[in-house]
Amino acid sequence: MKRRDFALAVGGMTASIGTGTAWRPAAAQTPTSGGTLTIVFPANQEPASLDGHIDPFQSTWLLNSFVADPLVVLDADGTYKPALALAWESTPDGKSWTFRLRPGVTFQDGTPFNAAAVKYNIERILAPATSSKQLASDIGPVARIDLIDELTVRLNYDTPWVTLLDAMRRTPIWSPTAAERFGLQEFQRNLVGAGPFTLAEWVKNDRMVFRRWPGYGGWNAAATHQGPARLAQVTIRFIGENAVLNEAVRANAANVGFSLTPAAIEIYRGRPNFRFLSLGQAGTGLQQVMNIRRPPLNDIRVRQALLFARDSQAANQLLYDGAYIASDGPLDNVHPCFWPGATAMYRTDLDRARRLLDETGWRVVQGQQIRQARGVAGVPDGTPLRVRWTTIHHREIGEALQAQYRRVGIELQVEQVPGPIQLDRVNRRDFDLMFLRQRSPDPLILDQVWNSRWDRPGGWAWTGFANERLDGLLNQLRSLPSATDRCNVAREAQQIIMENAVMLPTLSQPVLVALQPRVQEFKMGAEGNWFFLHSTWLQA
Amino acid sequence: MGRYIAGRLMQLVPVLFLISVIVFGVMHALPGDPAQLMLQGAEGGAPPERLEELREQMGLNDPLLVQYLRFAGNALVGDLGESIRFRTSVTNLILERFGYTLELALSGLVMAILIGLPLGMVAAVRQNSWVDTLAMSVAYAGASMPIFWFGLVMILLFSFNLGWLPPAGADGLQSLVLPALTLGFVSAGLISRLVRSSMIEVLGEDYIRTSRAKGLSERLVLWRHGLKNALIPVVTMIGLIFGGMLAGAVVTETVFSRPGVGRLVVAAILSKDYPLVQGCVLFLSVVYLVVNLAVDILYAWLDPRIRYAA
Repeated sequence: MKRRDFALAVGGMTASIGTGTAWRPAAAQTPTSGGTLTIVFPANQEPASLDGHIDPFQSTWLLNSFVADPLVVLDADGTYKPALALAWESTPDGKSWTFRLRPGVTFQDGTPFNAAAVKYNIERILAPATSSKQLASDIGPVARIDLIDELTVRLNYDTPWVTLLDAMRRTPIWSPTAAERFGLQEFQRNLVGAGPFTLAEWVKNDRMVFRRWPGYGGWNAAATHQGPARLAQVTIRFIGENAVLNEAVRANAANVGFSLTPAAIEIYRGRPNFRFLSLGQAGTGLQQVMNIRRPPLNDIRVRQALLFARDSQAANQLLYDGAYIASDGPLDNVHPCFWPGATAMYRTDLDRARRLLDETGWRVVQGQQIRQARGVAGVPDGTPLRVRWTTIHHREIGEALQAQYRRVGIELQVEQVPGPIQLDRVNRRDFDLMFLRQRSPDPLILDQVWNSRWDRPGGWAWTGFANERLDGLLNQLRSLPSATDRCNVAREAQQIIMENAVMLPTLSQPVLVALQPRVQEFKMGAEGNWFFLHSTWLQA
Repeated sequence: MGRYIAGRLMQLVPVLFLISVIVFGVMHALPGDPAQLMLQGAEGGAPPERLEELREQMGLNDPLLVQYLRFAGNALVGDLGESIRFRTSVTNLILERFGYTLELALSGLVMAILIGLPLGMVAAVRQNSWVDTLAMSVAYAGASMPIFWFGLVMILLFSFNLGWLPPAGADGLQSLVLPALTLGFVSAGLISRLVRSSMIEVLGEDYIRTSRAKGLSERLVLWRHGLKNALIPVVTMIGLIFGGMLAGAVVTETVFSRPGVGRLVVAAILSKDYPLVQGCVLFLSVVYLVVNLAVDILYAWLDPRIRYAA
């Protein structure tokens, strides 16, 4: 598959995201160089290690992208564009990927960027000593790396590996010389790449400071200008208190507030002096997966009743003034492979929910608001219809739905637990509705959550649902190279999941960003959790 | 005096041993597998094959006793292990943040003394007057205010509305003012109340009456004879407050987004970073015990009756 074909396919896939925007001033102005851009981030997004080869978080890769351009970038329009690789292609079976690299690029330490450097980076990620917690899995089981010439490198697999570009867009390409010199532990404090900024300072739990690298050649299609970055410095401040995080831009303590909480909506709504962005994150949305191993959710009619009785948009209005994004299925509505049939399948219908529950033996008892069991298999008569809602955050969504479920006689017990407790419950399969969120524009996340082969310790298939057809479809996601075909398979899989009512979609959390008016050309990526500072400048 | 100090030092050994056992036991008794937790934190999910590999790598497959002995043995030589999450030395992680915590605790203590001492003195000297009522109202307000709320009010007023001071960070003296004031004001309430009651008691002593009868100026009576003697119990309180600030400034550190050991330990608990939690708690326990030891020694030096009783 040629690069252009793939780019078009991906472009079509992500067009529905529609969130990538580069904010330009209304009147034409001449960009200026210099100044410090201060961005506030939530403290919980501060990386533990700044080496994206090791650390498994989106924020790490984002911060890495200031220092090191990757081979390809996922641009705001959802297409893959050149960065350190000028072109790429895969064989039709998806087992071999060839990258033609950009000539004349040097790392920040003056050493040359070439095919050997790419090989070194891939091997470093895959080396057991690196203990890469995510990228090694995403780059996959590379069987052999061929150096075709100084500027051409080929990755060979024994099995199809069709999601490589999604991994490569996040993979920082480090200077092999510097990585060797500092070693695995110290390199994260001494990052050397071929990106627009260098890491000048990292005071943990406080700030990171990046300074412009004058040698940068603008090797990234996401940039709107060539040459070094316009900003002289970028300071990232990690804020531990949400109220401070949300107010920082309004109070002129920062130029950009990234990943703000819903309370920020109230602060910036109706303030024309600020630009406020709400950007979708493709993934599963804030879903609750159902444990179908035990009553009451072992009965599909109860599960369907839960779906018919909910009104997520009412909760959205009530809690977030409608700022959250609809999520109606196993992939949220902004996901390029979202199955639209999910929206129509379970529209709010209280009568239908009541009828379904009546059929199951969960009966309305006079004088009682909550239904009780009458002849439900495995449940003593008189047991109230209680469903436990376990989450690690966004407790308020459960609380909003609590009232909705009471209308049909279901008592929703909402609990928020810390991560370790959630894992313990999952390991013991002791839950009814459990929060599970994955974020990725690739449909492969469906495989992780719904393929029954991952129903084992460390796996993400928690529900106990096993369906041969579904597993077969999900297995194909690892080998289908065509983005269109992958989406088609993902849509069929979503239909099976929804027909069996094994998950409860709620809403999708957007990334909220506030910008001061003087911040120009701050370019958001195709996903809400990514942005580019290559061309950003500050108005005087 | 030397014997007294040696005795107090010996008492630290079983205390530290117990602390290490409790911390180790509690962390391992809590539900949740740290290796799985690490994988869960990954974006997009990591495959289950990694779980066993990670458990082995983290030493979690060893018997508990082996894990404890490894931890305790290394701790004795100052090696608190390697953080699971940060993949670096726990000792280094603590030491690079302890400077910030110490800076905050010291400046908070100075603020607490600067506010609490005069407030308590004025209240004692003008006992039962409106000045006393006002001073004690301020003291009660300080002692009873939730620190996170007071911190946010300070940020709202001095950072967001007036724009005088930065709302967050640890970037120079300016960024230290608000957290120190917040931490200090809350503790000042305790100090002022103790100073007041102690001063009232001392001012009723015979030697104060004698001093006045001798014709000493009121200022001399208050500062030389009154305050000096009233400060003996206050020194103990200040020591305890300082120890508490070192070990428990986490709320202030969080509200003002300052680096510090408190925030480090909370993050470690949430991510079940066993070595880091164990190392931090052990380190903070040692710090707390050392501060208390210093207070005891100071107290014994100020009041010889303590030494003889011991």
